[in-house]
Amino acid sequence: MQRLNLILAALAAALLPAAASAQDKPATVVIVPPLSTPENVMTSAGYSGVIARQVADVIAADLRSTAELMPLGPENARIYPYAESTAPLFREWRKTGAKSLITGFVQARADGRITVACYLHDIPGGRELARKGFVVTPGEWRRAAHRCSDAIYAQLAGRPGWFDTKIAYVAESGLKSGRVKRIAIMDSDGTSHRYLTPGGTTVLTPRLSPDREKLAYVSFAGGQTHIRLIGLNSNDDRALLPGNAMSFAPSFSADGKRIAFSMAINGNTDVYTASSDGSDLQRLTATTGVDTHPSFSPDGTRIVFESDRSGSPQLYVMNADGSALQRISFGGARYQSPAWSPNGDLIAFTRVGGEGLRIGVMSATGLNERVLTRGTLDEAPSWSASGRDILFQRAEGTRTALYVVSVDGGDGRRIVTPQDGSDPHWSTSGGGQ
Amino acid sequence: MKRAIISALALLMLSGGALASAQRVPPPPMTIEMLQAEFSARTASDTVYFVGNSHGLNANTQQILMAQATWLLSNPSIRARIEGHADERTPRDYALALGERRANAVRDFLVLQGVPAAQLTIISWGKERPVVAGSSEGALALNRRVKTVLMR
Repeated sequence: MQRLNLILAALAAALLPAAASAQDKPATVVIVPPLSTPENVMTSAGYSGVIARQVADVIAADLRSTAELMPLGPENARIYPYAESTAPLFREWRKTGAKSLITGFVQARADGRITVACYLHDIPGGRELARKGFVVTPGEWRRAAHRCSDAIYAQLAGRPGWFDTKIAYVAESGLKSGRVKRIAIMDSDGTSHRYLTPGGTTVLTPRLSPDREKLAYVSFAGGQTHIRLIGLNSNDDRALLPGNAMSFAPSFSADGKRIAFSMAINGNTDVYTASSDGSDLQRLTATTGVDTHPSFSPDGTRIVFESDRSGSPQLYVMNADGSALQRISFGGARYQSPAWSPNGDLIAFTRVGGEGLRIGVMSATGLNERVLTRGTLDEAPSWSASGRDILFQRAEGTRTALYVVSVDGGDGRRIVTPQDGSDPHWSTSGGGQ
Repeated sequence: MKRAIISALALLMLSGGALASAQRVPPPPMTIEMLQAEFSARTASDTVYFVGNSHGLNANTQQILMAQATWLLSNPSIRARIEGHADERTPRDYALALGERRANAVRDFLVLQGVPAAQLTIISWGKERPVVAGSSEGALALNRRVKTVLMR
């Protein structure tokens, strides 16, 4: 305990200036000791006591990636008995000086599954702030840990967490003149990486449905660019629309019921919507020129898209039925590939100007434009579930990689992928069980 | 029984083919690559280029396309796929739309010159198939293109 106090003091001293410059409030210190287990039992994913430690490792790593929270542990944290997981000895934890504590347990069940429970406590106040419990197969412990992190972050930071989220993107390899492109998906911490398409056909712009049951993407299969839907828990892979029209730029509504996209017919590209099964096609724009890259507002009532009807690509907002069209970008550049933030207040975009392609944000009414990145080929912004970060693609030389930048600006952070990456899409949090 | 019918049909088709080839001189064994080279040589270029985000066809481009139309009209059995491209400074979706708009402009011009629409198909590759790597102005200009690709 003495050691932890020392570490805490040193960390607080080191962290405070950095935290203060990143935002106004210093990070909240959260103690994350290993979870307990009532009985150390072998499960299909290892001993329950080992899983309990792994869950704490994942929660600590999740919280460490935030600006608002500073986890301590599981190393060197006090080990507590199972009985204390719901009723911690606050007088012991107060000695650490930390603000918050996470306890919990992993219990093997008779049906082969496990219970993962986590509790968030306020140490000075001596009370429980939140709790989460999941009954899952032992192999799903990692997702349960991410969902604990989401609940903890939501309670302490006051906005949704993004730990139980996935990143879909295009994995790239080979020469630029003929890149091999495959749709890939992974947890947002880089684990559980897998490929969804084999690589013989060029594929683009994956978009996860909000329930994570399916993924829309663009394929060149059969000599025509078209949107396909792939089932994430099945082998289903089919075209969204009947017929042979060129369709691309898919984007789900927040409730997953509709897809907005573009179709190009005889040199004219317009925005359409359809049900997520491809039925009930509606054409929303009918102007000569390119109308593309639609993105729904989080409440589903409006759509932002890019159009070159004025002569150069600019951002426009319209109702989800195509009415009440309004141009929102008026700066001295092209404004393209817009993405509406999960809070509804901001729109991220790719700004194409003299410096190249860069990621920026503006309000949903087009005010307060800010450029966030400093690359020359940064594009394809996608919001985190918290609305705090933007995932995008950066090309440098012959390589292409995924980066995250805070909506407050600052240096981007590279997301490690097994191969080059492009066209990222960050899922919403939660999703089905 | 079924098999016998199929064999009989195959025999019939074979003999029909033999008859047909006996009546005319067999065509020279031109591969599609050789045809494409001949097409390029006869028409000055199988590829035309564009400025900025435009899909406009300037006088030089129109001259090349007229020559392409003449060749396609005299080779009606050869189909052509009009492939539109954009440069890497174009965001992905806009590049797909722009490639389609360029390919469509070329297709429309060829049809106006009399080439049957059924002889032509179009595809947009967006910025997925740059012919030159690199971000220099010269490289970007060479990638903003429409190529007429012959197919049998």
